[in-house]
Amino acid sequence: MEYVVSILKKFPLTVFSLVILTMPFWFPWIGGYGGLATKIMIWALFALGFDILLGFTGYLSFGHAIFFGVSAYATGLMFKHFSDEIIPAMIVAVVVGTLASVIIGYLTLKKSGIYFSILTLAFGEMLHSSALSTFGSFTGGENGLTLPDMIPSMLGIEMRGEIMFYMTALVLILGFYIARRIGDSPFGLILKAIKSNQERLEYTGIDVQKYKLGAFVISAVFASVAGSLMVVYEPYVGTEYLRWSTSGNLVLMSVMGGVGTLIGPIIGAAFMLYFENVLSVPLGEEWLLVLGLIFMAIVIFLPGGFTDGFKLIYKKLFGNKADGEEK
Amino acid sequence: MSKESTSDVMLDCYEVSKNFGGLQALNDVNLKVKHNTIHSLIGPNGAGKSTLLNVITGMITPTHGSVVFDDKPMLDLSPHEINQLGLAKVFQTPAIFPEMTLIKNVCIPALAARDGAFKLNMFQKAGMKSIESFAEETLEEVGLKDSVHKEARFLSRGDKRRLELAICLAHRPKMLLLDEPTAGMARHETENTILLLRKIADRGMTMVIVEHDMNVVFALSETISVLAQGTIIAEGTPDEVKGNPKVIEAYLGEEQE
Repeated sequence: MEYVVSILKKFPLTVFSLVILTMPFWFPWIGGYGGLATKIMIWALFALGFDILLGFTGYLSFGHAIFFGVSAYATGLMFKHFSDEIIPAMIVAVVVGTLASVIIGYLTLKKSGIYFSILTLAFGEMLHSSALSTFGSFTGGENGLTLPDMIPSMLGIEMRGEIMFYMTALVLILGFYIARRIGDSPFGLILKAIKSNQERLEYTGIDVQKYKLGAFVISAVFASVAGSLMVVYEPYVGTEYLRWSTSGNLVLMSVMGGVGTLIGPIIGAAFMLYFENVLSVPLGEEWLLVLGLIFMAIVIFLPGGFTDGFKLIYKKLFGNKADGEEK
Repeated sequence: MSKESTSDVMLDCYEVSKNFGGLQALNDVNLKVKHNTIHSLIGPNGAGKSTLLNVITGMITPTHGSVVFDDKPMLDLSPHEINQLGLAKVFQTPAIFPEMTLIKNVCIPALAARDGAFKLNMFQKAGMKSIESFAEETLEEVGLKDSVHKEARFLSRGDKRRLELAICLAHRPKMLLLDEPTAGMARHETENTILLLRKIADRGMTMVIVEHDMNVVFALSETISVLAQGTIIAEGTPDEVKGNPKVIEAYLGEEQE
């Protein structure tokens, strides 16, 4: 066991990639299915990017559905009016999502704490309701943007089933690699210092505002890629992609998994989707209640989420030699 | 140190005034700090020392007047811009990054000195050799060599202040502003601090010190300015200030050496 942990610590990216890429083989054993695995990859990417903002800088955005949703709509509109090739659609979608984040980040990051959260929530709800009303003719309004009989493709290859899974998995692995590199970089160090003592940082010659905006935009790029992939996976844009509940789920996943650990929110996303789609079947109507209880238990007993739990178990089993992060 | 040879002014506060509502905290304060000197700012409570310090660091905008540092006007600059020009404030209550190790605490200002106020260097390793070894040297200088990989929050109060000083030094400032560097310290700690500040000053650092402890002030300062009710009532060498009747009057009723 100790040997396993030392491998996890030494080669986190390799282990992570192996676990992800072998998912189609082991996931069915625990009741999962192919499409769910793809969906988990997408949400994991979304949550991973979110951790660069929440986990590093401590800024809790309640409006990250904006970038997921805006990018999803952009992808859908590209499919509808341009072509079913995913590369141009995804590029346009990510550019649109990123631009939105520059504007919204610039306007909201002047505030911190609860005011920042509320401002981002307000922006999200504003966009959600305008997608339903003002821009209804583009977005399909209440029905969402439907793309009947469309199969997105990349360079002529249809993006579905296992190919879609592996494409998404590779994007997630790349995202994980990038996020870890950011965490180890000078840029990441300063983001973590924002969480630790923002005021001090200003008197240390750092332009904090720019670093915050940097983190916000990077996390929005992850969200945009995720939102776009969602439409590639399932050619339909639901109105709920822009809704506050999408932002809320993202926060739940991050907190459950362990904020600031990068791997935690990925585990949180996987757990939430697995719970919602597989464990909810035997639980029937009460599954949301059980999920709520689990969430409460985690917040009360394991404020550091699942990753904290793993560390505790490891410590119990092998003494207190473990101080690094569990992967 | 060679006080005479370097007569040029590094920090020049000219007719600085600040009103808080009806209260005049500073009234036409003129302060010139010369290169390579230790300049102390003393005065009774409420004299405006902290306000003046906050004006210099950009935390407060004065009602009128100007502040020039190293020939550059400082008003309307944000705190990080002032810091980038080479002026570092050593906070009275240690302002550190509690969840980070000491070396990371010191790497941050070292990076700010190397990369400027913002750089999107996402794919470099944070533990670059030169920055880390520089941070280690700085920690060694303030006497924290043995706890380099400790988290800052576990330090004693005195050590937190050493770390605070190391954070300021790692930015390689031209001038240090120290807000009561020995407040709340035991005698031997105070003496260590005096020695440490002397050592840093002897390497060519200009310092402005706000301090209550007259032992510290007289042990370190080349020049002392006395503030009372928002104006400078006396200025000179320690001996000149000690004998000044105005100063004695301003301090009347306050315990003084």
